[in-house]
Amino acid sequence: MELVKAGIRRLYAVRVAKARLAMPGAAIRRLADAAIGRGMLWKPVVYVVLTCVAFIYVKPILYMVTTMVKDASNILDPAVIWVPRSIHLGHLEKAAGMLDYGKSFLISASLAGSVSVLQTFSCAVAGYAFARLDFPFKKFWIAMLLFSFIMPPQVTILPSIMLFKKLGWMDTFLPMVVPALFGHGLKGAMFVIIYRSFYSTLPKELDEAARIDGAGLVRLFFRVMFPVARSASVVVLLFSFVWNWNDFYFPSLYMFTAESVPLSISLARMAGEMAQAQGAGELTVFAEAIKMAASFLIIMPLIGVYLVAQRWFIEGVERTGLVE
Amino acid sequence: MKRFPGRGPEAQRKREGALFIAPWVIGFLSFIAFPLFYSLYMSLHQVKITVDGVEYAFIGIKHYREILIADGSLLYEELLPFLRETAIMIPIILAFSLAVALLLNMRFPGRTLFRVIFFLPVIFSSGQIVQEFITQGEGSLSIVKTLRLDEYLREYVPAGWAGPIQNVMDSFVLILWYSGVQILLFLAGRQTLPASVYEAARIDGAGPWNTLWTITLPGLVPYMFLNLMYTVVDLFTFPGNPVVSRVNTVNYGSSSALAWIYFSIVLSIVLLTLLLYARIEKWLSGKR
Repeated sequence: MELVKAGIRRLYAVRVAKARLAMPGAAIRRLADAAIGRGMLWKPVVYVVLTCVAFIYVKPILYMVTTMVKDASNILDPAVIWVPRSIHLGHLEKAAGMLDYGKSFLISASLAGSVSVLQTFSCAVAGYAFARLDFPFKKFWIAMLLFSFIMPPQVTILPSIMLFKKLGWMDTFLPMVVPALFGHGLKGAMFVIIYRSFYSTLPKELDEAARIDGAGLVRLFFRVMFPVARSASVVVLLFSFVWNWNDFYFPSLYMFTAESVPLSISLARMAGEMAQAQGAGELTVFAEAIKMAASFLIIMPLIGVYLVAQRWFIEGVERTGLVE
Repeated sequence: MKRFPGRGPEAQRKREGALFIAPWVIGFLSFIAFPLFYSLYMSLHQVKITVDGVEYAFIGIKHYREILIADGSLLYEELLPFLRETAIMIPIILAFSLAVALLLNMRFPGRTLFRVIFFLPVIFSSGQIVQEFITQGEGSLSIVKTLRLDEYLREYVPAGWAGPIQNVMDSFVLILWYSGVQILLFLAGRQTLPASVYEAARIDGAGPWNTLWTITLPGLVPYMFLNLMYTVVDLFTFPGNPVVSRVNTVNYGSSSALAWIYFSIVLSIVLLTLLLYARIEKWLSGKR
């Protein structure tokens, strides 16, 4: 670890020296520093700004929760906007029934879970290779990595459908899971890039020290490089899980005719059914509340996952510096 | 220089590297490169799905000509305003997420609560639920109407841009929702700058204002670039995007052509930003 520390120090000595010398607008600087340093000006501003933005983010959840617990009298009462007079859980039950919640939940969880675990690992391998290893035509493959990052999935979606049809993978998880196994899949290129930029911030001495100790590459990766990247892994795992859980585009094209579908698809099916029912003149008062209840049921597990994971997320993110 | 089947530590390293990258390359060839060329092939053909298989009849660039010239309404009346909108949205998203990330990075009581809240947009923006909120008009800011900004806009801004700016303001909250990932990426990037540097700078008498400009922002340049790319890519698969829903299984040939036209637009925009990034990087290292 001494080696690592020395490397980082050398790396940043230049920047520190610059920070010391640069003097853009001495008066402004002194004023700003004084205010920031004492926390007089700064703290309230931080709180006000963050609270305002946080309100924007929380408002839809509040709306969702308050709407879904309103019964008929509360919905029709014009005096009730945010706070209902009584709490009614019937919509939640109804939505759970329409979504086939138990089954869809399991499917969503196993799909998002398996894809995110596979992506975390395979993208780490690829990201490490892109950052630190040497292989034939490396420049070309880096260009291809960027290419697959910026390519909208719409370009390859139709041939992919035909390919997976040929392979007989339609209506199964395979079209989502197999690409993830190879470091692709939903936003796979982005995860590789995240790992790549993480590994390229690590000091080279770390690799070389392990090499001198005589560790093989595979062992080096499993013993040092993958554990060291824990902070990046948490970020990737969480993003991948959330995006795969929410993803509608791929499942809608690859498994729309399947018996058992993930929650994002059953929500769409439910919305379709309700639109039909509305056309036939049913359910109009409750439609909003039931939709909100269904949305709540889909979002809740993700918030739960984040609440559990955020401890590691923040801790991991803070340890990315690795030197301290 | 000896290439692949060589001896010595150099070749050994190359072989090991190839072993590590092999899965990704295999995946790339089968799930990206192959479909990509296949869709190019289909875009030049009339594709007919029959009972016993797929029939292709070569028609050249007819699909492209139809989309670009004969029936240009999708491209010029829907996509062009959308591109203008994204041009306005991208700087807003980047500046906003950078500011929020730097604020969230500071130590103050209740930080954890805020960090939980700021993950919510990541959950919302990728799901079906955001559509629901758009239709309810949750995306607009009431202040725009109160100040009657739209009237000023129509008076002072050329007509081609007034509409997109208006749209951006109408969905301003939505833009903030789409900043969730960017905030987290900036936050993670900020953490890669080691605390010891800040400590050293502080001891040497540099205040927070100085360190922001000389350490934090230059250190975040790679993440700004990553975020810029991410934002561009994300916006091009935005739910409000007029093209996304047009690529469907109704007509394989013309859908593929549309996807390719769209992709070349995206590609040229991204290449432009890449060029810009290279310039900035050069300029920064020149200053150093």
